[in-house]
Amino acid sequence: MKKNILSFSEAINQGTMQAMKLSKDVVVMGQLVNSKHGVFGTTQNLSKMFGNNRVRDFPVSESLMTSAAIGAAIDGKRVVLVHIRIDFMYYSMDAIINWLSLWRFKSGGKSSCPVVIRAIVGKGWGNGPQHSKSTHSWFANLPGIRVGMPTNAFDAKGMIIDSIFNNDPTILIEHRSFFGLKEKVPSIPYRVKFGKCAIRLKGKDVTIVAIGFGLLDSMKAAKLLHKEKIHAEVIDVRSLWPLDISTIIKSVKKTGRLVVVDPSWKSFGAASEIISLVMEKTGKSIKNPPIKITYPDSHTPTSESLEQLFYFNDKIIYDSVKKILKK
Amino acid sequence: MKDLTHSGLINVAKKNTIQLFSKNKSLYIRLLNFIYFLKKIEHELESNYHPLDEMKCPVHFCHGQESVPAALNELLTKSDYLFSHHRSHGYYLSKKCPPEKLFAELYGKGTGANFGIAGSQDISYPANNFYSGAILAGSISIAVGTALSLKISKKKNIVVCGFGESATDQGVFWESLNYSSLEGLPLLYVCENNNLSVFTPQKNRQAGNSIASKADSFGIKSTQVYGNDPLKVYQEIDRAIKYIKKNKKPFLVEAYTYRVISHVGPLADDTSNMKNTKEYKFWIKNGPFDNFKKILLKKKYISNLYLAKIEKDFDKKIKQYFNFARNSKFLKIKNFSKINYCPKESNMQKKIKKISKTKISFQQKIEQVKGY
Repeated sequence: MKKNILSFSEAINQGTMQAMKLSKDVVVMGQLVNSKHGVFGTTQNLSKMFGNNRVRDFPVSESLMTSAAIGAAIDGKRVVLVHIRIDFMYYSMDAIINWLSLWRFKSGGKSSCPVVIRAIVGKGWGNGPQHSKSTHSWFANLPGIRVGMPTNAFDAKGMIIDSIFNNDPTILIEHRSFFGLKEKVPSIPYRVKFGKCAIRLKGKDVTIVAIGFGLLDSMKAAKLLHKEKIHAEVIDVRSLWPLDISTIIKSVKKTGRLVVVDPSWKSFGAASEIISLVMEKTGKSIKNPPIKITYPDSHTPTSESLEQLFYFNDKIIYDSVKKILKK
Repeated sequence: MKDLTHSGLINVAKKNTIQLFSKNKSLYIRLLNFIYFLKKIEHELESNYHPLDEMKCPVHFCHGQESVPAALNELLTKSDYLFSHHRSHGYYLSKKCPPEKLFAELYGKGTGANFGIAGSQDISYPANNFYSGAILAGSISIAVGTALSLKISKKKNIVVCGFGESATDQGVFWESLNYSSLEGLPLLYVCENNNLSVFTPQKNRQAGNSIASKADSFGIKSTQVYGNDPLKVYQEIDRAIKYIKKNKKPFLVEAYTYRVISHVGPLADDTSNMKNTKEYKFWIKNGPFDNFKKILLKKKYISNLYLAKIEKDFDKKIKQYFNFARNSKFLKIKNFSKINYCPKESNMQKKIKKISKTKISFQQKIEQVKGY
């Protein structure tokens, strides 16, 4: 199979382009999608190839924009909706919660709404409280929506193609920090199935479940631990909903220890849910209480030195694993 | 001048007599039949809603607001889309959706349009491109997207969104006006201005009276019409649809009307003393059916005998709808999590190869992207 080395953003771009070639129903909407920079390169050249009719720039009317994607999907379009900053997308919470998520449900399965929302989350370099929130847990909590969190270029391409041609709405949470990461990516259109975790590293001593951006630091920590002959199993959640909890449970049954790394707030989030689901099934067989590594229950500060205090890193994960092994 | 108001109409409409505009007798009779049928359906549903309480769901009756649905019933084709507000029964019927499935939906039965999952305020009938919803302006903004899709695919059909003036309290309505005008979308806005958001009159909620004038400032052509005159409403909507198709631009019709019933359920809004107001007395006396019937009788287009005959026919049908609804079974759902998602992959999905890869190079340095 022919493969090229692509960055995360180039992989999204290629996936979208191939989907648009496969079906004329695929359209792209969002602010700046037909600009020269093409939303960090992810939509570059699409308007040149397919025209502005199918690649539509939008006013700063996020509320309308999401609704418009729903309306177009009702007429048979498969819409890729780009929210260049997830924080602006919150203007369209009514569209997502009251309409998109329950469209199929309330029609009794007679109407579907194949919208893919690409929601981009910032981190670092002073993005601050209004450019860095990751509310993936909220959307995973909401019935009727699939939530994907690709961590690498390979999955980014496969997941966007699967989402575009799926009949249910999908929110893809894209961490902006990932956009430059490179990977070998097959040049054919392919899809990565939702509802399946990826075991990125096999191990027997501790299970580290990483969500989205949490994966990179987890892998770094695991490498450090490996040098000390501590073998961490690192699981990339990849599809937050549907959640492949059975792979996680299987791993925890083997290791007896669970650390969940979630790039969002600590309370009432995905980390808590995963721990709860695991505990329901493993109960007393777990060796030590699980550990959550998340952001504090606080909004993100702007200054660089405060950011460093706010965000977790590989060292914190490393220390937590040492702690859970000692207990 | 777009200077119609609810209080102003009381004086204007006193002199108002419905003007027949052509010799199209069959059109008049069809309009009257629809209004009569809808009025009777609402009346019977109201009588059975309370105090029996078998439907057990919020129902917003469109009693008194029959003109707009009657016009749409004449003017829309099956492929045209209609997005309705929560006062949806008239719109549902105007898209030729089966009445018995409306009744069954209200009774929450498995034979309902949406198997009892949606109820009155969320009912839809996708086969006829009919949708509704209860969060006001939300469905207007969705209608914009459907109209955009028609434009993208150069289709000939149009989209209609029906809403009350309360929906224009919400911001996304104005985003919708802006974008539909900017893009030239085949979208008909029909604002049924009934003056009330639950109990609060428009003047206590909005600066300025006319929604139509405000649409003008977005470059959207608009008109105001006395909404209880079915013929004027028909003419204006007909004109609007022709304009939309010819000019490939949106149009807004503001029809002044009145709900002579409470916001939800069949009891009048006694808490607001609505029944004692001059306005209520005027509008209840000037419902779309009575005045229209009178003029058609006077012109001898119909007879009392004819009215009695169709009344009997409607009564029989409505009885059948009630029987259908009451005798139907409730849906049984074993696994709730399944009905929120499509059970099958799409045909396109099936054609595309699934690949998975676990080994990924994660020892790369993050380079923070800036800008756009």
